[in-house]
Amino acid sequence: MRVLVTGMGGELGTRVAQVLEERDDIDEIVGVDFVPPRRRLRRSEFHRIDPLERERLADFVTTLAPDAVVHVGVYEPYARLDPRGAQQYTEACTVTALGAAARAGKLRRIVVRSGVEIYGRGRGRAAVPDEHAAAAPTTAFGHSCLQVEAIASAVGRAQHAPVTAVRLAPVVGSHVPSPLGRLLRLPLVPVPALADPAFALVSPEDASRALVAALGRDHDGPLNVVGPGAASPWQAVRLGGRVPFPVLAAGWQVAYRMVELAGAPIPSHVAELLAKGRAADGARALEVLGLGRLRSTLEICVELFEWATVTHIRASQAAA
Amino acid sequence: MGDRHPHPRVASRRVTPTSVGSLTFGLDDDRVSPPERPVSALRRRLDGRYPRDPFGLDPHLQDLVSPLFGLIARVEVEGGDHIPARGPGLLVSNRGLGLMEPAVLGITVRRERGRRLRIVGTPDMPVLGDALRALGGIPAYPDDVAALLRAGHLAAVPLGPTWLRTGVGTPPLELVLAATGFPVLPVAVAPGGPLGLPVRPWRVKVGEAIVTPGDPDDPLEAAELAEAARAGVRDLLRAHFPPG
Repeated sequence: MRVLVTGMGGELGTRVAQVLEERDDIDEIVGVDFVPPRRRLRRSEFHRIDPLERERLADFVTTLAPDAVVHVGVYEPYARLDPRGAQQYTEACTVTALGAAARAGKLRRIVVRSGVEIYGRGRGRAAVPDEHAAAAPTTAFGHSCLQVEAIASAVGRAQHAPVTAVRLAPVVGSHVPSPLGRLLRLPLVPVPALADPAFALVSPEDASRALVAALGRDHDGPLNVVGPGAASPWQAVRLGGRVPFPVLAAGWQVAYRMVELAGAPIPSHVAELLAKGRAADGARALEVLGLGRLRSTLEICVELFEWATVTHIRASQAAA
Repeated sequence: MGDRHPHPRVASRRVTPTSVGSLTFGLDDDRVSPPERPVSALRRRLDGRYPRDPFGLDPHLQDLVSPLFGLIARVEVEGGDHIPARGPGLLVSNRGLGLMEPAVLGITVRRERGRRLRIVGTPDMPVLGDALRALGGIPAYPDDVAALLRAGHLAAVPLGPTWLRTGVGTPPLELVLAATGFPVLPVAVAPGGPLGLPVRPWRVKVGEAIVTPGDPDDPLEAAELAEAARAGVRDLLRAHFPPG
């Protein structure tokens, strides 16, 4: 099987490629992104193509003619790109890569990275929606996920290829560029003064395992992949030994500016998570994908603040 | 992904107890924890070393606050052994004003089984709603009730209010639909005094579980289950707490 991995330059895309490399039934792994992979890959082939160069990307994918696409080129605002850039790159990568793969005519499987932001947190919405809940996004990233799923679904329908939308909880880890992780690692973190809602996370290892496991199943539809348990903003901040700074009403506008200056801008979906929480029911994915034990949200929070000890070595040792 | 990917309304009736995970700091989101010294409890709060579940429950906070409810309401329980010692279950009870009944049911489940009870019907609003969620409440959304039961928890759903306590109210059909396939227990609650004042102990009678085959897409089965639960509560009230 020849698999195209879009967004291979991101933390998640690189991990997906690493997990794919362990599978014997995958003959060829080819990745594209506008930045190189974050780790050394043994048998994956990477091509640095900017998704905004639509013609180049389309030609490359059509020539490749993949049997399957794992579409990880869904860019979270303020992870590596600003919100407008993230939306543009996501749209360009989705339309071009999936469209070209369909035109090549060999496509028989599609897995797309989506997010639980797709459910939204409007009034009257369940706090822990399962896959049957209607998509009603209330943030820009949620709308991006909805658009990605809609395009993938249309391509899958035309190609008679099953499409699995893996709706991930916010992916947080010590090496993952994520706006939530960056915010929680500030020394002083703004938190809602009058609420402490629960949110769930998923580790990058489990997220990549889920995306690859979905490739091996013929499940046609969405699946929530969510780490067990939850944490709250106050709790996550204290677990890292940081200081929570309670913010009320209009004070948030000032807080947004301050954290942006500190290098951790807050996109709308993270602001919503802090104010209203975010979780989803991931039981079905465990059943369908056979994922076994997932890392819990509290474990992810604790690991976020753990850094390997820096060992200083003398120049003479280094030269030796 | 809409029409192309139809799947059952409720994904599965299989219980997948994953609500908290492995790192719990010695606390459980289903089992009540033993009392803790105030200093270590305070340190735990300040360090964030307590679990939360996705529904918003803060088990540590609940354990700290629950003894206060025990001081307000004394409770006498019959049939407590019908409450599942583990696994999911939906308690369907009568209610009058509806203010003290949730606390009384919570005390009953904690005392009889050492488990936590989630009260369905929390208002979905800022501040108050968040505080009640932390203590074990969830809004009356069928998806949340189904997810809670799939995670292996106990939940309580009240029948429609009967403020003069002249009978039993109507069952919440959508919520009972979410519980098809799980044990449903009728529960009768009688107040300790007029207007729920704690003159005498509150009295609680727990009936035997009603178990249905569990087709979540069959509205007839849900209606029958709801009616069976309502009749169960009515019979318990007539038999154990006759009016007058």
